[in-house]
Amino acid sequence: MPHNVIHMNAGRLASRLVRRFCTQAKSLSNSEVTKKRNDLFTKEKARQIANISRLEKIQVQHIGPPEECTLLMNKGLSTPFNCAMHIQELLVTRSVVALVNGQPWDMHKPLVEDCELQFLHFKDEDAKIPNEVLWRTGSYILGYVLENAFKDNFYVELCSFPKPDVRSGSFVYDADLKTQHWQPSPTELNCLSAIGFKLQCYDIKFEPLEVDASVALTMFKSAQIPEIAATSATGNTITVYRMGTHIDITRGPLIASTNLIYRYSVTAIHDIESPDYGPLKRVQGIIMPQQLPIHYWTYEFLSERATKLNPAPVPSLKSKQKLAAENGS
Amino acid sequence: MAASMMSWRLSVSLRCGQSASFQQLDIFARVLAQPHLTQLHITRGARRTCKAAPWLSKRTVDHKLNEEVLTTESKEFLKNVAIERFKERMANSPLKDAPAERHQWTPKSLRTGVLAIKLGVIPQWTKDGHRFTCTLLQVLDNHVVRYIPPEEFSKYPSFKKKWRKNIFGSLVVGALSTDPFKFSKGYNNLCAKVGLPPKRKLTRFLVTPDAAVEPGTPLKATHFKVGDYVDCQAKTIGHGFQGVVKRWGFKGGPASHGTTKWHRRTGNIGGGRNKAAVWKGRKMPGHMGMEWRTLKALKIWRINTKYNVLYVMGQNVPGPVHCYVRVMDSRTLFRRKERIQRPPHMPTFYPEDVDEPLPEEIFDEEMFKFTEPSITFTDKKDK
Repeated sequence: MPHNVIHMNAGRLASRLVRRFCTQAKSLSNSEVTKKRNDLFTKEKARQIANISRLEKIQVQHIGPPEECTLLMNKGLSTPFNCAMHIQELLVTRSVVALVNGQPWDMHKPLVEDCELQFLHFKDEDAKIPNEVLWRTGSYILGYVLENAFKDNFYVELCSFPKPDVRSGSFVYDADLKTQHWQPSPTELNCLSAIGFKLQCYDIKFEPLEVDASVALTMFKSAQIPEIAATSATGNTITVYRMGTHIDITRGPLIASTNLIYRYSVTAIHDIESPDYGPLKRVQGIIMPQQLPIHYWTYEFLSERATKLNPAPVPSLKSKQKLAAENGS
Repeated sequence: MAASMMSWRLSVSLRCGQSASFQQLDIFARVLAQPHLTQLHITRGARRTCKAAPWLSKRTVDHKLNEEVLTTESKEFLKNVAIERFKERMANSPLKDAPAERHQWTPKSLRTGVLAIKLGVIPQWTKDGHRFTCTLLQVLDNHVVRYIPPEEFSKYPSFKKKWRKNIFGSLVVGALSTDPFKFSKGYNNLCAKVGLPPKRKLTRFLVTPDAAVEPGTPLKATHFKVGDYVDCQAKTIGHGFQGVVKRWGFKGGPASHGTTKWHRRTGNIGGGRNKAAVWKGRKMPGHMGMEWRTLKALKIWRINTKYNVLYVMGQNVPGPVHCYVRVMDSRTLFRRKERIQRPPHMPTFYPEDVDEPLPEEIFDEEMFKFTEPSITFTDKKDK
């Protein structure tokens, strides 16, 4: 179930052009909105850390190479990344995502209880989870690319991205670019790709933060936030990810750091029609990690495949009951 | 580039350059704009150059790309896709048609050559029973990759002053297509621009503008005719570091009769009393072979059109078996009058030049074919 699907009740259908952000966005620019979100994120993170009055210890059992060991870590503060730092540098540099009690867990998400910890990387025998995590990160980075690529007079409103499907050949972000008749030239697509590609030069961590729905509302100013939060375990929290200055909502997990990326391309922008959001642009791309270097010819061959329209479902509103049913599955 | 070794040469070039007010010369401006090319004007004339010219595209890629990441099936699939795409492109390419205007051959025309592979030697016989040896040169998968007209070519760093400006253009010919996964993007694109797969070997021929060929045109053995005279240019067999006896043919010393440690040595190296020093060019042990040598005016006795093989006179075409040989129309004056009466195909042979398909083997008139009856000699005594 795509986490970012926005749903409204019938009463709000009249204002169907409401998106995740304030509709009085005419004079707003993406950079201003980003800065505001960043400040809120930093404040909330600091508040959450300050809330930890007493340091409690948890036992973390590491399974897998190079050595199986038990670590004593800080509850609510230590992340799998910190555990890797205690064990070996190899785990720090190559780990993409962790498995905590068998469930995928971000490398920079604090551990909350005694658990079993495993580290996953791209050259594992079964690399299905790192693969999907990378694809999801690709979509997330597309959001960053779109918010940072355009001139200030174009206010880009991101809509959502669907569940990662590696077999489709590309990852996707649906957004309203407010440029109905723009067909990007190959050079322009290269410019967009370069924004994502440059991230690999920096070691920017993907920081997850579980925030209350009220805090998320102030960051994103969307009336749909409570409904998204309702699908979470506690009923009121949303996971928000920060990469540098870019902040977005996704179910996660995402990869550990941007320095794991090797190739990144924005391959195509298609026009799609959403029944609830009107005309949107489907931006597609592909990504390759540092651990898997391929010849440029192979990568170009994959890029060609990724120009085809991705068959993922178009973003649409769903009724609460349907969502509840899906949430159970 | 080996800066420390060539620094004296650099100082020479700069001194010459200054006196000629080189800032105004295009070639020097271009050279100076790229700091790593500062020394190439002098250093490229050396007898043996092991490093590729710095202006050429970097050719190879890290061999691990694709190797460790893809499965065997994926690699095969990609290779087949690459082959299919190049086949499609070459079949649909409009560049394969004969050019609109074809010029007449003149004695001053200079046609392109081909890049052949030396297969080996084979004996052949003339009609009067005389035996001679032929070298087989196979023209395999040659295509014209690029043509640069004389005005542009004169400005290139690889252009030599002795060729005199605006006479010769440069025609790049490639041999043996291969898959793109072996090479870098820059190298692949040299051929990809004209819809060709990357070539294992590229070489450049000087041509006059009337002999320019469209890029993408294939060159076959039928570029030449039987009875033509060609120059064959190749790198000689490399013998490594050799002594004077093998390298220069010195006599050495006696093998026995009490000679102590003086069997294959140089002997005296002095230049005489007045000189009181060693003359430059003194023959001494050193690296032997791996040098470009041209064998001139070799007759083509036979052509096999099915396998594109030239049977060229002589058993001493430079280079080992399976080396690349540049084969060009002979620039000597040998049998020039015959040439004028029977001019070659200009700029190259196209299949539409002949009405019927060519026979598989084309023999010289004087050559004995084994399908004919054996040669008989009348005994002089009978007369």
